[in-house]
Amino acid sequence: MKIWTSVHHAVTALVLTVGLMAPALAADSVTNVGKQVPINILINASPWYGGFEKVTELYQKQTGNKVSLDVTPYNGMLEKARNAVRGDKSPYDILNIDTAWTIEFYKGGFLKPLTQIQPGYAMPKQVFTCGGSYYWNAQKQWRTPVGGELMAVPPNCNTQVLVYRKDLFKAAKLAPPKTFDEVLDDCKKLQKPGLYGYVTRGERGNGIWYDFLPFLYAYGGSEVADPENGDFTSTLNSPKALAALDKFIEIEKTCAPANRGAIGQADVIQLMATGNVAMAQVVIAAWPYFENPTKSVVVGKIAAVENPSVAGGKPGVPMGNWHFAVPKNIPEANQKAALAFMKWFLTKDAQMAYAKAGGIPVRSDVMAELSKEPKYAWMAAYKQSLEDAVQPIGYAEGAAVEDVMGLRLNQALIGQKSPAAALNTAAAEIEAIFKKNGRKTGHLPPLPQ
Amino acid sequence: MLTLNGRELWIGYALVIGSALAIVAPFLWILMTSFKFPIAISTGALWFSPTGFNYADVLFGARSDFPRNVANSLVVGAVSTILVLVIGTLSAYSLARLRWARWVGRLFLGWTMLFNTVPVLTIVGPWYLFFQQLGLYNTLAGLIVAHIIINLPMTVWLMMTFFRDIPVELEEAARVDGCTPAQAFFKVILPLAVPGLIAAGILAFVFSWNEFAVALNLTSRMTATVPVGIAQFAQQYEIQNGQMAAASIISTIPALLLMFFGQRFVVQGLTMGAVK
Amino acid sequence: MGVNRQSATPALGQGGNGVRAEAKRKKQSDRLFRYATLMPAVIALVIFTVYPMLNLLQMSVSTITFAHGGAVWQFTPLANLAKLRDDSVFLATLRNTLVFVVVSVAIEMTLGFALAVAVSALGRFKGLIRSVMILPILVPPVAIGSMWKLMYNYNFGIFNQMLAWFGLGPVGWLSDPNLALVSVIIVDIWHWTPFVFLILFAGVEGLPREVIEAARVDGANNWQIVRKIILPLMGPAIAVAFIFRSILAFKVFDQIFLLTSGGPGTATEVVSLLLYRVFFAQNDMGYGALLSLVVIAMIVAFLLGARRMVAGRA
Repeated sequence: MKIWTSVHHAVTALVLTVGLMAPALAADSVTNVGKQVPINILINASPWYGGFEKVTELYQKQTGNKVSLDVTPYNGMLEKARNAVRGDKSPYDILNIDTAWTIEFYKGGFLKPLTQIQPGYAMPKQVFTCGGSYYWNAQKQWRTPVGGELMAVPPNCNTQVLVYRKDLFKAAKLAPPKTFDEVLDDCKKLQKPGLYGYVTRGERGNGIWYDFLPFLYAYGGSEVADPENGDFTSTLNSPKALAALDKFIEIEKTCAPANRGAIGQADVIQLMATGNVAMAQVVIAAWPYFENPTKSVVVGKIAAVENPSVAGGKPGVPMGNWHFAVPKNIPEANQKAALAFMKWFLTKDAQMAYAKAGGIPVRSDVMAELSKEPKYAWMAAYKQSLEDAVQPIGYAEGAAVEDVMGLRLNQALIGQKSPAAALNTAAAEIEAIFKKNGRKTGHLPPLPQ
Repeated sequence: MLTLNGRELWIGYALVIGSALAIVAPFLWILMTSFKFPIAISTGALWFSPTGFNYADVLFGARSDFPRNVANSLVVGAVSTILVLVIGTLSAYSLARLRWARWVGRLFLGWTMLFNTVPVLTIVGPWYLFFQQLGLYNTLAGLIVAHIIINLPMTVWLMMTFFRDIPVELEEAARVDGCTPAQAFFKVILPLAVPGLIAAGILAFVFSWNEFAVALNLTSRMTATVPVGIAQFAQQYEIQNGQMAAASIISTIPALLLMFFGQRFVVQGLTMGAVK
Repeated sequence: MGVNRQSATPALGQGGNGVRAEAKRKKQSDRLFRYATLMPAVIALVIFTVYPMLNLLQMSVSTITFAHGGAVWQFTPLANLAKLRDDSVFLATLRNTLVFVVVSVAIEMTLGFALAVAVSALGRFKGLIRSVMILPILVPPVAIGSMWKLMYNYNFGIFNQMLAWFGLGPVGWLSDPNLALVSVIIVDIWHWTPFVFLILFAGVEGLPREVIEAARVDGANNWQIVRKIILPLMGPAIAVAFIFRSILAFKVFDQIFLLTSGGPGTATEVVSLLLYRVFFAQNDMGYGALLSLVVIAMIVAFLLGARRMVAGRA
C-alpha cells in the first residue's frame, strides 16, 4: 500500500533524523487534517511515552501543525487535569485521563463531547472501545456506548497480562500457566536464590487494588452488586472474594519478594527487567521497557499470555486504559485542532507507526497484522485480553472505594489484619461511602473472622 | 567545664567522632551513587567507573525540568526573602519599640505562634481554593506570597530579639537630635540590626528553598520548585535513582555554601530564640 | 553616628504655639510611622492566615464539589462529623504521630545533650563539629528523604548490602510494617539531633564556669556535676529545644512522603500525610477541613500545656 510505505518511510526518516525527506512526504500524505492551531497535550511519563512522542513528531511533519507535550509523572496527572478544567481556561487542549478518574470529569461536565466538536464523529470500527469507557450516558450516569455520548478516544487500552520468561519456562519444560494454581506450582519449580517466582504490586493504594482485581474477578467476586442498574450493595466480603484474597496472599507469600507490601509498578518492572523474576502480572504498557536494551537484560526472553483464571473459568482482566479528552474551557479552534489530532492518531498508518516506535496500539487490524511478527507476538495476548476485559469501578465514588480497598487489602497482605477481617472492614466502609451519597446500598453477612 | 579522664575520655571521643561520621556518611554515599550508572546502582556495585551521566541528564536532558525548578526556586527564594525581611523587620521594630498596647503585641505574637505551630497542610486546603479565586494558583507570585506568610513569624521573632538588644538610648538620642521616628529607625537602628537581617534572611531563603508541602500542592510543571522536582524522579514506571541522587546533591549546594561562608549567622539565627 | 546633637537644640529653645503645633505634628507622624510599620504584616496575616482559617470552619460543615468554573459548596453539617466518627485510619494516624513525636524527640534530646556536653568537655573540634551539624538542618528535607530511600532500598541499599556481607538480611526497612515507623524515626533522629545539639551547645558554653569549678573542688564527680548542676541550669534551653522539636516532629511531612507515603498499611501514616491524602488525593475538602480543625485544637491544647510547663519551671 502506497500510503503505508510513505508513512513507514517517514518513521524511518525520523529515526535516522534525515530531515530532508520529511517535507516531501508531508505533501503527499493522505490523512489531511487541514491547517490547525497549535495544541498542547497533557501526557504521562510512561514506558510507551517514547512511542507517543515519535508519533506526534510524525504528525507535525506530515501536517505542519504544532503539538507540544507536557510530560508529567503519573502522580501529578490527576491534579493537573483537575486544575486545567477547573480554571478559566485550560492550558491543555488534550487531557490524558486514567480510567478511574473519568467519571469525575464526565459527570462534572468539564469535557467537550467529541460529537459536539464535529457532529456525527465516531471512532473507526477497528478501534477497541476498551469496555465502553469512552462514552458517557448522562441519564444513566454510566459509561456505555448504549445511549452514551463519545467523550474521549483511547491512547491505549491498557490491560493487565501475565509476562513470563520464556527461556526459563522452556528450560524447565513448562507451559505458561493458565490458572492461579498453575502459577503457584510453576513458581515453586522455578524460584531459586536470586530468582523470584512471581511478582505483582502489593503497595497500598491503587497498586494492590488494581493488581488484586484479576484474582477477584477470576474467582467470581465483586466489590459492589450491580452499579450499572443502581444496586450498590457492598459485596466485597463474599466467600468468593475471600477465596480470591487467600489465593492472592498465598501466591505472594510463596513467590514474591519479602517487601511485597511495598512493591509498586516501578519495582515490578525493574525486577522483571533485571532478570530477577520468572513471572510478573503487569500492565501491557510496561512492555516497551522490557524490550529496551539499555534498561533491560531480558530483551527477547519474555512472552505474554492472558491473565490466569480458575480452572474452567474465565480470566479476570481489569482495564486500566487512558482517555484522550478535550476540555470545555478552550477556544473552539483549539477543540477542532485537538479532534483533528485524535482522528489522525486513530488512523491505521499512525497506529502502525505508533506501535513500531514502542506505543501500545488500539486498532485490532494493527494488532492482528503485527502479532504475526515474532517481535510483536505479545500483541496476540493483548488482543485476547482486550476481548475479555472489563472496566472496574464505573461510579462516582470510585476513588474513595479504591482508597478503602487499597488500604485494607494491603493490611491483609502484610498481616496487619486477617483476610476475612480486612474484607469485612472494607465492605462496611464501602457501604458507608454509598450511604453518604444516598445510594441504594446494603451488605452481606460478615465473614467469620 | 568537665574534665574527662580515662574511660570517660574515650566515650567522649567515640560519641563526638561517631556522630560526625554518622552525619557525613549518608552524604558521601549519595554523592557516590550520583556518579553511578543506573545499572551500577541497582546491582549495588561498590567499584564502578564514575560517570557524569546523571548530572548531565538532570541538568541538560531534553525531558528534564530541573533547570527550570532551580530557576523557580531562586526567584521564589530571593523575592520572598526580600519581602519578608521588609515586612517582618518593620513589624518587629514596631512591636519591640513603638509602644503598642500590650494586647496588640500579645495577639500578634500569639497568632503567629499558633500559625507557625499547626501543620502547614491544614491551611493548604483553603489556600488552594482561595488562590484559585485570586488567580494566584499555579503562579510564582502565589508561591512567593505563601512563602512570605510561612516565614513571617520566624522573621518577626528573630528581628524582635535583635531590636531588643539595641539600647533604647540610641533612639532617644536620635529623637532628641530632631530625627523623625522613621529617620531614627532607618539611620540609627537599622544599620545596627544588619547582622540580624543577614541571619533572618539566610534562614528565610533556606526555608523557602527547602519548602515542599505548599509547593507540591500549589504549583505545576512550569512553576515547580527544586524539592518538587526531586520528588518527581520517583515515577510510576521507573524510579530514576541516579537522577534522584544527582538532583538531591545539587539541592544541597546552598546548604554547603552557607556551611562554609555563613555559619556564624546560621548558628546565631537558629539558637537566638533558644538562648534569649 | 551621623546625628548632630547641636543642630537640634535651637528647635527646643523656641516657645509658645510653635512648640505645641510642632509637638502635635510630631505626635501625628509618630502614630503614622507606628501604623505604617505594623500594618503590612497585619494585613498579610489577616488575608492569608486569619481568613483561610475562618474558611476552614465553613469548609468543615460543607461538601465541596467542583463544577465547571469553580467550587460548589453544599451545607452538610453532619456528613463530615459522621465520617470522623467512623474513621479508623485517623486513630491509627494519631497513634503513629504520637509514637513518632515522643520517640524521636526523646532520643534527639538525649543524644543532643550528651553530644553538647561531650564536645564542650573535649574542647576540641568545636568549629568542625558545628559545621558538620549545620548540614542536615539546611538540606531540603525532600533530599534527605530521597537519600534515605536509596539507602533503605530493599535490593541495593547500603544497609542491606552491609547485612549481606555478614550473610544476613535482606531487611524490609520500609516495607515491614513493624519496622517502617522505626526506619522513619531513625531518619528524623539523623536529621534533627544536630538542631538540638546546636541549641544545647550554645547553652552549655554559656554556663558559669565558676559554679562547675566550685563543685569539682568540693569533690563532685562528672556525673554528679551533669545531674546536679548542668541539667538544672540548662532547664530553659532544654525546654525550648523540646518544644521546638515536638512542634516540628508533629508537622513532619516531606521525608515520610518520599520514604513510605504512609505505608505499608497505615504503619507510617502521620497527621500531615493524612491531611494531604484527604485534601488532595481523595479531594474531600470538607472532611479535610474538619480534620484540620481537630488537629489545630489539639495543638492549641499542647501549646497551653507547654506554656504552663515553662511557667511552672521558671
